[in-house]
Amino acid sequence: MNRRLARVTPGRIVALAALVLLALEPTLAPYIHVDVTIVSAALLFTIAALSANLLLGYTGLPPFGNAAFFGLGAYGCALSIKYLNVHFFTATIFGMLAALLGALIVAPFLVRRRGIYFGLLSIAFGQVFYFIAYRFTDVTGGEDGMAVTRPYLAVSTFTLKETAFYYLSLVVFILSILAFKAIVQSPFGRTLVAIRQNEVRVRYLGLDSNRFVFVAILISALFAGLSGALSALLNGFIAPLQLDWHQSGDFVLATILGGSGTVWGPLIGSIIFVIGRDIISTITPYWQIFIGALFVACVLGFPRGILGTILARFGAAPLSNEPEEANWTQSPAIAVDHHG
Amino acid sequence: MGDKFLLEAQDVSKYFGGVHACEGVSLGVREGSIHAVIGPNGAGKTTFFNALSGFYYPDHGRVFFGGEEITRMPNWRRIERGMSRTFQTPSIFPELTVYDNVMLGVRSKAGIAFHARTPSGEQQAAHERRIDELLGFVNLVRFKERPVAELSHGSQRLCEIAMSLSTEPRLVLLDEPMAGLAESETERIISVIRGLHDRLGLTVLFVEHNMRVVLGLADRITVLDRGRILAEGTPSEIAANEAVRDAYLGKEVLEHV
Amino acid sequence: MLEHVGPQLFNGLVLGAFYAIVAIGLSLIMNLTGTINMAHGSFMTLAGYLAFSMIARGTNFWFAFLVAPLLAVLVAIIVERTLIRPLYGRDPVYSLLLTFGLSLIAEELFHVVWGANTLPFAPPAALGGTLALGFMNFPVYRLFIVIVLVFAFGLLGLFLYRTRFGLRLRAAVQDSEMIAALGTNTQLLYTINFGLGILLAGIAGVLAVGLLGLNPTTGNTLLMPAFVTVIIGGMGSLYGSLVAGVLIGVATSLMTLYVPAASEVVIYILMAVVLTIRPRGLFGEEGLFG
Repeated sequence: MNRRLARVTPGRIVALAALVLLALEPTLAPYIHVDVTIVSAALLFTIAALSANLLLGYTGLPPFGNAAFFGLGAYGCALSIKYLNVHFFTATIFGMLAALLGALIVAPFLVRRRGIYFGLLSIAFGQVFYFIAYRFTDVTGGEDGMAVTRPYLAVSTFTLKETAFYYLSLVVFILSILAFKAIVQSPFGRTLVAIRQNEVRVRYLGLDSNRFVFVAILISALFAGLSGALSALLNGFIAPLQLDWHQSGDFVLATILGGSGTVWGPLIGSIIFVIGRDIISTITPYWQIFIGALFVACVLGFPRGILGTILARFGAAPLSNEPEEANWTQSPAIAVDHHG
Repeated sequence: MGDKFLLEAQDVSKYFGGVHACEGVSLGVREGSIHAVIGPNGAGKTTFFNALSGFYYPDHGRVFFGGEEITRMPNWRRIERGMSRTFQTPSIFPELTVYDNVMLGVRSKAGIAFHARTPSGEQQAAHERRIDELLGFVNLVRFKERPVAELSHGSQRLCEIAMSLSTEPRLVLLDEPMAGLAESETERIISVIRGLHDRLGLTVLFVEHNMRVVLGLADRITVLDRGRILAEGTPSEIAANEAVRDAYLGKEVLEHV
Repeated sequence: MLEHVGPQLFNGLVLGAFYAIVAIGLSLIMNLTGTINMAHGSFMTLAGYLAFSMIARGTNFWFAFLVAPLLAVLVAIIVERTLIRPLYGRDPVYSLLLTFGLSLIAEELFHVVWGANTLPFAPPAALGGTLALGFMNFPVYRLFIVIVLVFAFGLLGLFLYRTRFGLRLRAAVQDSEMIAALGTNTQLLYTINFGLGILLAGIAGVLAVGLLGLNPTTGNTLLMPAFVTVIIGGMGSLYGSLVAGVLIGVATSLMTLYVPAASEVVIYILMAVVLTIRPRGLFGEEGLFG
């Protein structure tokens, strides 16, 4: 199927342009007053938003416990550096494994729930991890959080450190989005989409939907854990508040703002959210009102999100003969009522 | 008794908050037959269907399929065993094309629905042929690329039937296949149902309350009334049955029988 | 240690009553319209602040105690009509996000108007001190809380099960469409239901600030446990929320006595245990919300 790779769609052009822009960001930074650290943060935030997107936009489940996986990734990474003195990449892997472990514990409780029940339970379990991080002061530093010393990255000199980290984040981001795309275009991913639209029918086609949900939760945790680990390394710091479900809400907001159910929506939403929050907080101490207003405005006026609205306006083309091309042309995910 | 019938229900009862929706219903569907379950509204037909197909489990009684007890078997497993069903409101994937709607069942049968790897070119081509075959049976090939939401109610129902065939069932359960259809569309569904039996050799169990249609289509009829079996037999036996006429009293259709 | 158990049990009862009343308010709203009200805590805090301001302007406690919750209900009705109504029938995710956004706005607004510090909110002198009953001394204010909340539960029960309107409400939870077809103004019903839930929250809010202190996040500290209460009690069951609330309150209190570090997580452990043994909660209805 070589023609798939060679096809030039408007979507691909825009994606390529975005990537070029991102690649040039360190040189552009002084001119647009957006420095690399904040864009790194936005890219890593996107990975966490993708984790929420997989559950919300594709499977149709409200993922309000993902901050816990993010936090497990962060603490897993930090603790492995502190106690095991590991290398940069190993620490990240440790973080992801910690998140995966958390998911394995929590998923059996979540897997049979849908709708509100799933949402509330995911918040509740997320809070357990939050309290553990808060209480185990000896290990995690408690409320004040924990400093993370960034292991020396082999190929950077001291002055380029932030920029080197930025390129690392960019590479990880690109890999993540490619992985995400591969997952949602795979038969597994297509089944998740079907579950969102009509779970009963999926079961009556001979598929155990719970199995799919279970794995989706695990994959989601891995993405969130990756985001958490690298964020800890970026900031040199983690605190229990990053596991609080408010953080989960932020991931979900970024997804919905950009367009849930699309591959690139979370990137758009994350950039707006992270950079926007940064800018507004320098203008007023009451930036939280604006975040709150954004939630309200987005839910009421903009449920499809930016990318979703664009796709809808230009007529979401029907899926082609090659279902594998679904990500750009798939109609955006407007949650519909699920069957039992 | 167990191996004569492809599907057998023994004394199936289901209660909802103290009200019996169906009670003590026993029924046997012979392989290769078209069996109808009829009754006035509220007779418990869909409840019975739901218990048979695993939408929920009966409070009392047992269900057998191909000799194997399936009373509490998860619904998706029953599909693996060779059952399939349609619903009163066509249960399809509203945001996908007709093609993608049928694709999932094909992939499920091929055992690749859970895979992360996209199917090879050869596999994909085989699946596409199968989809064309299924859509051809219900005459929807020309709508293959259309979003299923754009189709008429009747065409959506045909799409659903194609989907229920994609898992290669032995038995197809159709819940009020004629519901909400115009007269012209009804004829088409009838011929498709007959085709399921005559051309594909499938066993069909369907729920309906249009007596005229049922008498013309079914080999065997079970009549339910208020959750219990009222009568069972061949179409001529049922048409002559006094109790059945009473239950349907006032229904215009019966006068034409 | 044993002489501490009595008072802790009583504290647990008080805490449990709070959890229960907040949970029941949440439940009422959730059961009828599928709205997850993440701003429930904000309404509690609002009632507390309004009471505080009224008292600061010279009204007496009892007046503020009666009026503040009603003012909160007024705000709630406006919010419901403008912001929440458009979301009925949509996925609960949206109401969760919207009300979450509202809680962020509310918290910041409280900060702007009343400042970030905890404000002194002392119950009136009449409710101060302790009362010796039998073998134990009961703080009068806590006794007052228990009495008020029990009274509130009783009134609610009477309303739901002995009045025509309550009947309509319960019927609407079962089948909104049917009730609408029978001529009931369901939109009005939803609004009143929401107001009722917030009334309970407002009462709890005014009572709670005398105990927990008054700052922008007071209400939110009761919110998560209230959600867990709803889960443990079972979705769709008000009685379940009542029982679960008391259960959780007592468990938390006793845990503070014996294993303080675990006192915050004990409710989640309880939740995990209950869900493993009985997935739909203690009194939950099968199939409701999955």
